[in-house]
Amino acid sequence: MLQAGAVQLLCLTASSGVPLFCRGASKQLPFSVIGSLNGVHMFAGGQGVQLFNCDTDRGGRVLWKVFHDSVMLIAVTGQRSDACGNLQLRRLLDNVWNCMVLVLGLEELTNVRNVERLKRELRSCYQLIDTFLDVGKDWMGDLTHCVECLLPAQPAVLQDTLNAFAQAAESDFGCLLVHGKMVVATDKWWRLAPQEVVLLAALVRTLGGSACCDCPIFLPQGSPTVPHRLLRFQLLPGVNVCMLCGPTPTLQSVEGELVVRFWRPLVDMLHGCQALHQRCFPGSVGLHRDVLALLLINRESSRAVSSVHPAPSAPGAPSPIRRWELLRLLFTFATTRYFSQTEAPQKGEQLPPPEEFAPGFSDQPQQCYLVTDECKFFALQTPQHQLYILTAVSVPTFALRPLATRTLSTLTDSTGF
Amino acid sequence: MAHPPPSGSVVLMDWYRSVEGKGFFSRIKRKEKRRIFGLLEAPPIPPLINVDTVRYKVFLSGKSGVGKTALAARLAGLDVSSVHYETIGIQTSVVFWPVKLRDSGQVLLFRLHLWDCGENALRRFDHLLPTCKEQLDAVLFLFSFTDHSSFDDLPGQIARGCDPSDNVVKLVVGTKFDLFMHTDVTEREVKAFQEQWAVPVFCIGGDACDDLQNVAPLLNTLAELLWHQDCVTVGAVPANESAVGDTSSRAGH
Repeated sequence: MLQAGAVQLLCLTASSGVPLFCRGASKQLPFSVIGSLNGVHMFAGGQGVQLFNCDTDRGGRVLWKVFHDSVMLIAVTGQRSDACGNLQLRRLLDNVWNCMVLVLGLEELTNVRNVERLKRELRSCYQLIDTFLDVGKDWMGDLTHCVECLLPAQPAVLQDTLNAFAQAAESDFGCLLVHGKMVVATDKWWRLAPQEVVLLAALVRTLGGSACCDCPIFLPQGSPTVPHRLLRFQLLPGVNVCMLCGPTPTLQSVEGELVVRFWRPLVDMLHGCQALHQRCFPGSVGLHRDVLALLLINRESSRAVSSVHPAPSAPGAPSPIRRWELLRLLFTFATTRYFSQTEAPQKGEQLPPPEEFAPGFSDQPQQCYLVTDECKFFALQTPQHQLYILTAVSVPTFALRPLATRTLSTLTDSTGF
Repeated sequence: MAHPPPSGSVVLMDWYRSVEGKGFFSRIKRKEKRRIFGLLEAPPIPPLINVDTVRYKVFLSGKSGVGKTALAARLAGLDVSSVHYETIGIQTSVVFWPVKLRDSGQVLLFRLHLWDCGENALRRFDHLLPTCKEQLDAVLFLFSFTDHSSFDDLPGQIARGCDPSDNVVKLVVGTKFDLFMHTDVTEREVKAFQEQWAVPVFCIGGDACDDLQNVAPLLNTLAELLWHQDCVTVGAVPANESAVGDTSSRAGH
């Protein structure tokens, strides 16, 4: 029942419908189809109608979004797929637009003087866009728009070192990432918009095995027209420290003088964080062995902890990649149907509620569950947190709620998340 | 740059195949594949063995799509992406390469810091090129065998890249050498270029299997030229001769 499918992404200029790029599926849509998709949107616009999305009778879906009256992004999926509901596609378009702004800056995208030049410049965004289109992801920040965190056993020492390192490098923005998950960050970094932080973590993911980087980037929410330098240093494989800087200091001076001096004393602690990267919370926090995967969101701070190896897996359980897929699908399911008050309503979009009872229902759902062939799923929310857990099929359905509430209290009490 | 010494006169080119060499090269590998070292890590050499680490900065220069990022990955023993992605900004990689000097028999561990910057980024942001050229030791000028214009651009690239009188080592690397059917640049042209400019030219291509013999000639020659340049700078060796003098003193960055 629960399947993910590939999405094809089209980018065109909003004013003239000139295609800028196509990413995603291996077989590109023919130009005539792209033209029709744009044409339908333009026709609707001419009639005073804003076209948001459309479903085909064979289960495909098309979503349109125009950004700053300059660039139109269209997401197309060809098969019946739960992974490609409105939430995911809307998030995808927002993320892709943010990628484009991150690399090129808002000026370049809104004052389009030369379309051919813009097409060439957009090629720099492809690697980042492809990570968002990738189907087999092992992270969820793109969907939740929450910063994915790793909770180390002793954050204080890491925090102090990071603060001192950032200060020595004349920067207020610094963070330590382990395989794309935030371990500690400076205060100003936490105050960046969550979507920006997710984007920067995704960018660091694409940088792979390189040792240091100095990338000029624009923050889509914080500073879309003024570039900053993202300096990033790979301390150990998968362990990166990043900073946002102005014109100084140079990459060479930080790498040569500061990196080793500040971080060498903490090598053992960093190795400890490396070992935690799949679990994402300390080994001292015990969890029931039937919990296959979990996603814990702190609603106030927009941070999340997502993990698919909280306990050793039982035979017959879904594979880790499948667990990530299921977690994404079931998060979308719960958020779209039951926890929808967390969704900020899109400008002008009046979607009919998916459940019939919802309009006449004055209460807000706090918990929901789903039973499938592969797993059982329970989601609950409190004013401060949301917890989504995936359990083995062998867990009795009536036991899901106590398991979830106990998991939530164990996690929040022992880590203070 | 100083006149290049004959190949193999400073450094043993086949040393990685010898028993002693294999012992050292195993330190930069993990389970038969080349190991990625973070900035806080280095190859584990036992302290009793007297091996100095020498650090050099190498800049990769060339048009977009010519294969700079792929070459850096290949030299570091990493996976090379089959899809061409533009490099956003500057990305650097660290390559550790053990080398044995011919005359003194001393083993040195070269730590080559390869700097790679996307051509688009260099064009859009002024601060990137000066950062790349700061305290530079060597430049690899790249052209692609499948793109004749990139070969024609080489002299211009070399002139723009550095001063002939400076102490920067220069090497030319032709990429995509395996795509013979589409070869635009002939071997005769390459030979003529090499003779005219006195800059060594290397040909790289084919699947990036993590085999040392693919990268050893280039890295050994680069190490040789860098070491020779340092000896000349210190005054241990006259600039016109290619013999190696006293290796116990060196000037580096």
